[in-house]
Amino acid sequence: MIQLFHVYKTYARDVEALVDINLHIQKGEFVFIAGPSGAGKTTLLRLIFRDELPTSGQILVNGRNVVKLPDRAIPHLRRSIGVIFQDFKLLRDRTIFDNLALVYRVLGIPSATGKRKVANLLKLVGLSHKVQMTPYRLSGGEQQRVAIARALMNDPLLLLADEPTGDLDADLSMDVMRLLGDINARGTTVVVATHDLDVVRELGRRTIVLKAGRLVEEHP
Amino acid sequence: MERLRYILQDALVNIRRSGWGGLASIGTIAVSFVIVGIFLIITRNLGAVVAEWKEQFQVTVFLEDGITAEQLALVKKRIQSERAVRAMTYTSKEEALQSFKRELKGKESLLEGLGENPIPASLQLRIHEAYQTPEALRQFAAFLTRLEGVEDVLYGQEWVDRVASAVRVLRLLGLSVGLALGMASLLIVSNTIRLAVYARAEEIEIMRLVGATKTHIRAPFLLEGMIQGGLGAGLALLLLFGAYRATLWQLQLTPGQIFGVGVGSFLDPRWATAMLLAGASVGAFGSLISVGRFLRA
Repeated sequence: MIQLFHVYKTYARDVEALVDINLHIQKGEFVFIAGPSGAGKTTLLRLIFRDELPTSGQILVNGRNVVKLPDRAIPHLRRSIGVIFQDFKLLRDRTIFDNLALVYRVLGIPSATGKRKVANLLKLVGLSHKVQMTPYRLSGGEQQRVAIARALMNDPLLLLADEPTGDLDADLSMDVMRLLGDINARGTTVVVATHDLDVVRELGRRTIVLKAGRLVEEHP
Repeated sequence: MERLRYILQDALVNIRRSGWGGLASIGTIAVSFVIVGIFLIITRNLGAVVAEWKEQFQVTVFLEDGITAEQLALVKKRIQSERAVRAMTYTSKEEALQSFKRELKGKESLLEGLGENPIPASLQLRIHEAYQTPEALRQFAAFLTRLEGVEDVLYGQEWVDRVASAVRVLRLLGLSVGLALGMASLLIVSNTIRLAVYARAEEIEIMRLVGATKTHIRAPFLLEGMIQGGLGAGLALLLLFGAYRATLWQLQLTPGQIFGVGVGSFLDPRWATAMLLAGASVGAFGSLISVGRFLRA
């Protein structure tokens, strides 16, 4: 599903975000990318959905080399990937429904189908009763679940989650992880970036540890 | 198809949200187009007047009283063989007197005591437009004057030319004013759209990240600009038409009466359509300026 070959990412002034990363994630896997903040987790995810280009190295996603992807093919790549952003990226002045509808409008899905999809996903994340609320009126955990629902709007083959348990307490964190586990169980490849080592340990999934941009550990 | 509907909805939402900024945009375009439209109406009508005058323009050749039939025939023949002449009519002394009397209706007594008919016979020449330049006419008149039996040659081209060149100047002025105002409209629209883009920056970012194409992101703003431009131009046409009607009413005229030569009309549908299209183009272009810079893959 995802293959990285000697990937380097250097920002201006020689800030090395990633150094010589080699990585292979199979279809259907559930993988943690763990490490302290600033280790390069977010950068790694952004490289995968081609929000950034690596300074050198090659990245294959679903058989396509995203480094050599022409600009006009980028939207197509992103439509096959669901991303849960660290800051959720929800529109504060729109209802939950509108936030999810944005995706089906971009995809050009007829509104009847789209509405059904929104309803199903809100049921999955347990927020059906809040569909007409704005994110302002939701708790952090609820906003996180809206972000998950939105990431699933396009039936992604690959789900990338950036610190999905960031501000949540332990119970809520486990809820979110269970939800991601369910999604993975239905065939979606899931990659979760997190600094929360307790969660990682408890779940016992494959874990890749980054430190200062280097892959330092991999287990099991 | 579905996507088209979404784009249209987004554009309408943008317009609704643009509020006063949007209205200012539409208003600026309307004012600009009213000014351009005034120039257009004036130059087109004056142009029609000039064309009408040129059409009706004639050179009158007065003949000597003592001209013989042979001389007359020769003069006619010489004149008719000239390329500048489109048509020629002959008015005898008698006919000229009759028509003069008709013009003096009621004051025929003025002619009493003149005895012998004082009015000369004449030839009226219609001139091809290509020969209606001052230089060509002067040469042509000189040629006519030299003909045997010709008394005098009368033509009044200079003021027609003056009006024609005034129309040219007005047209040029209108064009430059139009260009300047067009630029101003462009900047205003571009600014309004830029605000709309900033207001939706987050949404655009999310759309981009979930796989919206650039075209899809751009289209609603493009449409918004076009609608603003089109509405502005449409408003201008309405204002112009209102002002046009009011002017006619004030002057107690009906369309076509101004100048008495079948002009004084409003912009014809072709020009009105052109103005609407120009408005939409200004809007579209202004929008592209703003959105283009904002987008990345």
